[in-house]
Amino acid sequence: MKKIKFRADITAVTVVVFIVCIVLVSVMLMQFRTVEQTDITEIENMRESELRTALAEWKSKTDDLSKQLEDANEKIDEYNKTITDKKEASNLVDDELKESNILLGKTDVYGEGVVVNLADGEIAIEAYDLIDLVNELRYAGAEAISINDIRILPMTDIVDLGDYTYISINSQRTQGPYVVKAIGNKEQLSSALNMKGSGFIDRITSNKKVASTEMENKIELPKYNQELEIKYMQSVDRK
Amino acid sequence: MIIIAIVVGCLIGALIGINMPMISYTYSGYLAIAIIAALDSVFGGIASTLNKNFDLKIFVSGFFGNAILSILLTYLGQKLNVDIYLAAIVVFVGRMFNNLAIIRRYYIDKWTSRKEEKNTTKNQ
Repeated sequence: MKKIKFRADITAVTVVVFIVCIVLVSVMLMQFRTVEQTDITEIENMRESELRTALAEWKSKTDDLSKQLEDANEKIDEYNKTITDKKEASNLVDDELKESNILLGKTDVYGEGVVVNLADGEIAIEAYDLIDLVNELRYAGAEAISINDIRILPMTDIVDLGDYTYISINSQRTQGPYVVKAIGNKEQLSSALNMKGSGFIDRITSNKKVASTEMENKIELPKYNQELEIKYMQSVDRK
Repeated sequence: MIIIAIVVGCLIGALIGINMPMISYTYSGYLAIAIIAALDSVFGGIASTLNKNFDLKIFVSGFFGNAILSILLTYLGQKLNVDIYLAAIVVFVGRMFNNLAIIRRYYIDKWTSRKEEKNTTKNQ
């Protein structure tokens, strides 16, 4: 009985085994191929959780980088600000330097002023006459002075040389007649020089020397033509 | 008859498997579980055949039912964030070893009994 039943089933069993073999082997081969050919690092093949971790990582990286970018931008802004500040400062320094150079006498200058002509009369012109004149002109508000086109600076020396035939100005020899040019308010200058009795011109002429003044609207003074050197002095820093 | 069916079935299955398109890596995990379940059913079927209590209905329902059920459980596990497929693998592979042990024992018994038979006939 059992044997007969088993035999009757054998075709069904064969068919089932056949189908099962087809299904199992095909699916297994499919799986083998998939596993073999898949590159795990490719994003399409990554599992959801892996993708999630990767996404979180990238997000935090992006956050960090954007923060860094912000910091960098802030720094750039700061630098730009300091650069403009420094530019302003350097412009200021430049202006100051220019002014200082003009005041010191390191540049050619022009402006209104007076021209004083001095010449020997019965008595020769001495260095003291020129020093006197320079002082008078400075007192009257002269901004720049030159004698025979030698610029007078704060440290200029005016000294008689030898037997009064030469006068040394800025250690340069010069001879009369002397043409003294001074830039300043021309009326103030000339009135100071031409004062009756006690004025410079009267004093010179009464000492038997020759002097005259002219007012001019534009006179040009040359710059100091030697090197300015600092050998001994140093500035004191007071804090 | 059955052996021919197995050989031909395997060949056709191989041809189909080679020509099938590749599936995406995400679903290959489900397929792997299904394959494990199917292999478990196959070994179970062989073991039951040797024990002479093979039932075609149980075999067919176990083959396809276990595969589909394991896929569904794996899917559920992914939704619940629990790795249920690990439990499925443990159960199926454990059963596979059980069935393999049954098959092994059956053939060892057969071999030793035949040897003894030969020995007894020789002695007689």
